[in-house]
Amino acid sequence: MLADIITPDLFASALRMATPLALAAIGGTICERSGVVNIALEGIMLCGAFAGVAVTLAVGNAWLGVLAAVLAGVVIAAIHAFTSINLRSDQVVSGTAINILALGLTGFLMEILYGHPGTTEAVTTIKPIFRFASERGGGGFVAEVWHWVNTILFSHTPIVYMAIIIAIAMQWAMYNTRWGLHLRALGEHPRAVDTVGVSVLKGRWIAVLISGALAGLAGANLTLEQVGSFTENMTNGRGFIALAANIFGRWTPVGSYGASLLFGFADALQIKLQIFRGEINIPPQFFLMLPYILTVIVLAGVVGRSVGPAAVGKPYEKG
Amino acid sequence: MPLLELREITKVFPGVLANDRVSMRLERGEIVALLGENGAGKSTLMNVVYGLLTADGGEVLVDDAPVKIKSPRHAIDLGIGMVHQHFMLVEPLTVTENIVLGREPGRLGVIDFATARERVREISERYGLRVDPDAKIIDLSVGMQQRVEILKALYQGARVLILDEPTAVLTPQEVTELFTVVRSLVDEGLSAVFITHKLEEVVAIADRILVMRDGKVVGETTPAATDEIGLARMMVGRDVVLRIEKGASKRGATVLEVEDIHVDDDRGLEAVKGISFSVSGGEILAIAGVDGNGQRELVESIVGLRRPKGGRIELKGNDITHANARASIEAGVSHIPEDRHRRGLVLEFDIAENIILGDHRTPPVARNGIMHPKAITEVARKRIADYDIRTPSERVDAENLSGGNQQKVVVAREIGRNPELLVAAQPTRGLDVGAIEFVHRQIIRERDAGKAVLLVSLELEEVLSLADRILVIYEGRIVKEFAVADADAETLGYYMTGGGGSKIDKDAIPGTPETPATGGDE
Ligand SMILES: Nc1ncnc2c1ncn2[C@@H]1O[C@H](COP(=O)(O)OP(=O)(O)OP(=O)(O)O)[C@@H](O)[C@H]1O
Ligand SMILES: [Mg+2]
Repeated sequence: MLADIITPDLFASALRMATPLALAAIGGTICERSGVVNIALEGIMLCGAFAGVAVTLAVGNAWLGVLAAVLAGVVIAAIHAFTSINLRSDQVVSGTAINILALGLTGFLMEILYGHPGTTEAVTTIKPIFRFASERGGGGFVAEVWHWVNTILFSHTPIVYMAIIIAIAMQWAMYNTRWGLHLRALGEHPRAVDTVGVSVLKGRWIAVLISGALAGLAGANLTLEQVGSFTENMTNGRGFIALAANIFGRWTPVGSYGASLLFGFADALQIKLQIFRGEINIPPQFFLMLPYILTVIVLAGVVGRSVGPAAVGKPYEKG
Repeated sequence: MPLLELREITKVFPGVLANDRVSMRLERGEIVALLGENGAGKSTLMNVVYGLLTADGGEVLVDDAPVKIKSPRHAIDLGIGMVHQHFMLVEPLTVTENIVLGREPGRLGVIDFATARERVREISERYGLRVDPDAKIIDLSVGMQQRVEILKALYQGARVLILDEPTAVLTPQEVTELFTVVRSLVDEGLSAVFITHKLEEVVAIADRILVMRDGKVVGETTPAATDEIGLARMMVGRDVVLRIEKGASKRGATVLEVEDIHVDDDRGLEAVKGISFSVSGGEILAIAGVDGNGQRELVESIVGLRRPKGGRIELKGNDITHANARASIEAGVSHIPEDRHRRGLVLEFDIAENIILGDHRTPPVARNGIMHPKAITEVARKRIADYDIRTPSERVDAENLSGGNQQKVVVAREIGRNPELLVAAQPTRGLDVGAIEFVHRQIIRERDAGKAVLLVSLELEEVLSLADRILVIYEGRIVKEFAVADADAETLGYYMTGGGGSKIDKDAIPGTPETPATGGDE
């Protein structure tokens, strides 16, 4: 049975499941590094998911859908930026409000646009980039290895690869560019940044908008690459798991990606185990809990306490 | 031609006239000391010059040209650099990253770290400010951090260096080093504004002295024309006793008993390596030592903020070894922490809330778990009046108080609680001479009321003038005990810097200067 569970599929699926988490988690990392908590990732992702499907249904081009998802993310994030940076309201409250707003807004728009709640019509999903042939069993060792490599690495849709590239690029940027240095300083000691003449307001706005774009892209990956349609509340807590991944990843893009992989793996395993539930005799709900239990364990600091940016969540007021 | 000139600068905060038509000049190659009571408006004035605050009136001239300094960036571009009273360093970042922040060398947004490091090394060598460019700020001592602040200003091209209470957190050696640095900077053609409460420093370093009181300049003088006593009088407007006379101690029963405790620091290294002592009622025991020799960990373990890994702590016979902060307060321990921002205050809370913290569970402030705003206001007003905290109202946020007045809030709360044991770490950090005199009197009053006082201070003056008994701590051990009559600054300094070796007790080594010839008797 183990051989049926541990298949190249499982790992490929883990990578797929990790992608929306990772994108949102990297967004969360950038946002929190600038000193703004972004609990709204969940809602932003949901809006991105919806905008992606709606635009694809309207114009028939999934890539325009992706663009729409990213823009929707940026717009929703702008609300969060305005309330938490300019109005200096409580960032957790603002984020929670946006999450509720996103649920209501997408449900409302479903009614307006399609006349019914629930799930939209299906769209043609974005296809995997590569299509190399490979087969399991029978072809000898080399063919077997190739099958594993091909399935795990080359069976994916574009945004899955984009997420990996974004993780690496953001990591590099954070530690090698002016933007990155300012970002890292912003969340720790905004006044110090202010006193050397770098705008705290601008830096935080940019970070929040980037996080919106990434969470929007995460939504697009969910609907346009994985599911093929939009269902109300389909993000199902992924935005919050992403926040946990950000913490587990110690507020770094690559770390966030790695942590997301772990959560993605838990999710993939959970799905796989569902298939064998007849043989294992454990209630399916138990498997469904897996990713969330992992989240709780991570947040409880079981894997070593990690310390976030010192000034995160504190609105900045000019002296 | 003055490098910097201020004409009639006025700055109003709600309810406070912080600067009232203040004028000053700074010539090239000159060090001007800015002196004044807590809340006199020194930091405010300098923040206006640095573009952090906008003046409500008056004019700033740089090189005789009027300028409106709108932001720190603008000030930096004009050649004005500032080392703030509370450092502006990003702790997890490296020295280099902090120094180049905002002006990073590089192309297309990519930082050229090799060049950055090279430039930092260059300036640090040119001015003799040695520091490791790759060290993280968080791992540096306060003195080192201050060097980084100065380097930052120099890197930004400062011609005027504003130092806001640079010595408040330094050890005597570090102060000497800082003075050397500032003098060499002035020799290179820079000018400096130096804010401090330590009169002997003013006399030692300034070319010209400006005294402020209540937002106004009340006098100008030179070190040659005055002395510390004269300066104190100018500042406070009355005669100040710089060293308080106190009666003999009437020792009562033992209050605090510390038995062979071992305490780890944040990194898990043993910082306190088996210390035993006791403090009696009616006695002030001082622990003297160079910063970082285990004082912080020792204090924190006594007041319930850190768990000792071995040993025993007793307060009036009750075991408080594992008490947490709340239990410790309830047992009768008060604590004036060394870092008022980190441990002493909730900056976002107002003064009234800060001044009753820790008393917020007990009458009169609270009854049956409910706090009483009226009682809080009453207690707050009383403590504000008793401790001369300069504020328009008890509803002002703690972060808007001047540094010295923040310290007074902490002192008022901790002594106001009427403890059995007062643990005071750097109780007068950042206070003006008048306020120091006042706090010293309060501490002596506690002693005379039969309370036990444990004083931890880097200021030898303070230790010598307050203590009845002195323990010298070095590398986590007590290396020497003095009755105050047998101690003087020189001998203390000798033991504090390891002169007696690290494992030595007064009885262990024959021939160490038991009673120095100079003597510190009062
Ligand atoms: N942001 C602010 N809002 C309101 N009042 C303020 C603010 N900053 C300073 N003040 C008030 O202005 C006055 C001058 O404060 P300032 O910090 O300039 O004093 P200081 O001379 O530097 O004192 P210290 O020696 O204690 O540091 C004080 O009464 C203070 O409470
Ligand atoms: Mg000040």
